[in-house]
Amino acid sequence: MTVMTHVALLVSGLAWLYPLFWALGSSLKSDDDFFTDGLNPMPSHFLWANYLNAWQEASFGRYFMNTILITVGTVVITLVVTSCAGYVLARTRFPGRGFCLGLVSATLFLPHGYTIIPVFDLMQRVHLLNSLWSVIIVQASGGVVFGTFLFMGYFMAIDKELEDAAMVDGANFHQTFARIMLPLSGPMLATVGLFTAITAWNSFFIPLVFTLGRPELRTLAIGMYAFIGENSTEWTLLCAGTVITLAPIILLFVLLQRFFVNGLAGAVKQ
Amino acid sequence: MVMTAVRQDVTAADPPSAPPPAAARRRARRRTYLWSYVYLAPMMVLLLAFVVYPIMASLGYTFYKWDGIGDPSEFVGLANFRQIVNDSIFWRSLGHTFVYAAFVVPIQLVLALALALVLNNKRLRFASFYRTLFFLPVVTSAAVIGVVIQLLVSNFGDSINTLLLNLHLIHQHIDWLGDPHFAMAIIILVGIWHTFGYNLVYFLAGLQTIPDELYEAARLDGAGRIAMFRYITIPMLRAVGVVIVILAVIGTFQIFDLVQVLTSGGPFFATEVVNTYIYHLAFGGSNANAVQPDIGLASAASFIYGLLLIGFSIVQVLVLRSLARRRGAS
Repeated sequence: MTVMTHVALLVSGLAWLYPLFWALGSSLKSDDDFFTDGLNPMPSHFLWANYLNAWQEASFGRYFMNTILITVGTVVITLVVTSCAGYVLARTRFPGRGFCLGLVSATLFLPHGYTIIPVFDLMQRVHLLNSLWSVIIVQASGGVVFGTFLFMGYFMAIDKELEDAAMVDGANFHQTFARIMLPLSGPMLATVGLFTAITAWNSFFIPLVFTLGRPELRTLAIGMYAFIGENSTEWTLLCAGTVITLAPIILLFVLLQRFFVNGLAGAVKQ
Repeated sequence: MVMTAVRQDVTAADPPSAPPPAAARRRARRRTYLWSYVYLAPMMVLLLAFVVYPIMASLGYTFYKWDGIGDPSEFVGLANFRQIVNDSIFWRSLGHTFVYAAFVVPIQLVLALALALVLNNKRLRFASFYRTLFFLPVVTSAAVIGVVIQLLVSNFGDSINTLLLNLHLIHQHIDWLGDPHFAMAIIILVGIWHTFGYNLVYFLAGLQTIPDELYEAARLDGAGRIAMFRYITIPMLRAVGVVIVILAVIGTFQIFDLVQVLTSGGPFFATEVVNTYIYHLAFGGSNANAVQPDIGLASAASFIYGLLLIGFSIVQVLVLRSLARRRGAS
């Protein structure tokens, strides 16, 4: 019974990931190999040159650096902005707190619709268009509400006495936050950071719109989309691009999945 | 106002060298408030500039005919709304979006619950490894997965056909992305695959909230597996279940990346969903359906869609709540 369960789970689990194995295998095939034995993910011999070509000739190296910069920038901005906001919303009863909370909650229910145009317009006005900054800022602003709520909930659950003790010892507002509260919020930093990283890395719509006229700013996902749109026939190269795009984020997820899964589970249980 | 004035007076009157404790505390509190605003400001600026303002602004665009270049000037009143409501492609895209949701949500939830029940068994070893396998597609980019599937299907559609013909699963060759029904079916299948992991994790979290004692007591009373599922698992999952269904439905209505990459709404709008429809209105069509960009029209369409979704969510929450309550009462 248990053996059967394991066999069934393992076989179906590996079959479930077939598209990923197929892309991985095809990225190492020669063109002949690719077409003669197409559905078989196992290459007859490993052609590592595909990766070199994808990296250099198909600009995936540049796309990779763009994606890294955007992801790191978005994560740093999101973590700084949401941990600070979550902290004060959880810990101080400043005048106007109710209004701010109300506004933050209301945005969850407003019809978001097609707000990319005004954002595009705004970026144009502040002369940030055609830069990676525009993607980073827009990407980060999309996640601030979610992150702020997570941090607020987390800081509310921390014992208030710790903070009072720090204050008695003469710690000021910033010291209490930076030396006491922030170090305690490690798991939440990891959760919000990982969520943001995965979203930013995989983001399609925002970089698509903000790099429409600037091919050199493309991210990996946009590069892949443009590559297939340009009617290129270098499929094995495209598969190498797929692996370059998917491998880093899968690796990051496998290493830190505890935080991601706990975050999701917490969100649904409330 | 009066309070603040008095407070300021008191502080101003106090000699700074030896402030009485009450004034010192007030000053400390005021400093705390001030820093609170500073800490909150970046979040509020991002929120106001990139979430609140764009919602208002796009509402304004709905009254103009505007191609997105320069400032909107050609005021057309409610003409954009009229045009969208009378556009059969808008209603067809809405229909496709509903079809997508109607297939993806039930299939995904049933499969996810079934797998969650298997993996929730405490005696099953490597459960978290299996969970990772089935969860993995969630962290992959929908756009890139779309490219992979397109590569597979456009190059090896024939191989897949031969395979399925040999297995007697189909009786004639299929043009996978060229045939409207199969193109939609592929989008649905990939959609199920891509976000399945979320529901698996949600259900696992829900199952872990059910106390073991309930099952033990039922077992002592001689209840079988099916009876326990029917009378313990299902009722205990109800609260989490409502949230899972709502999240799944909201998620499917946001579908964009997969469709844009796989079919771009084609062939002949057969897989156009609302978000790709709006994108094509705003930025021009990419294939046969080339249209002039019209931001006003796109904003009107997205406003109507936003209202429909809010209305739909409210109805959904009410229906699911009353269902949960009625079943809970019986």
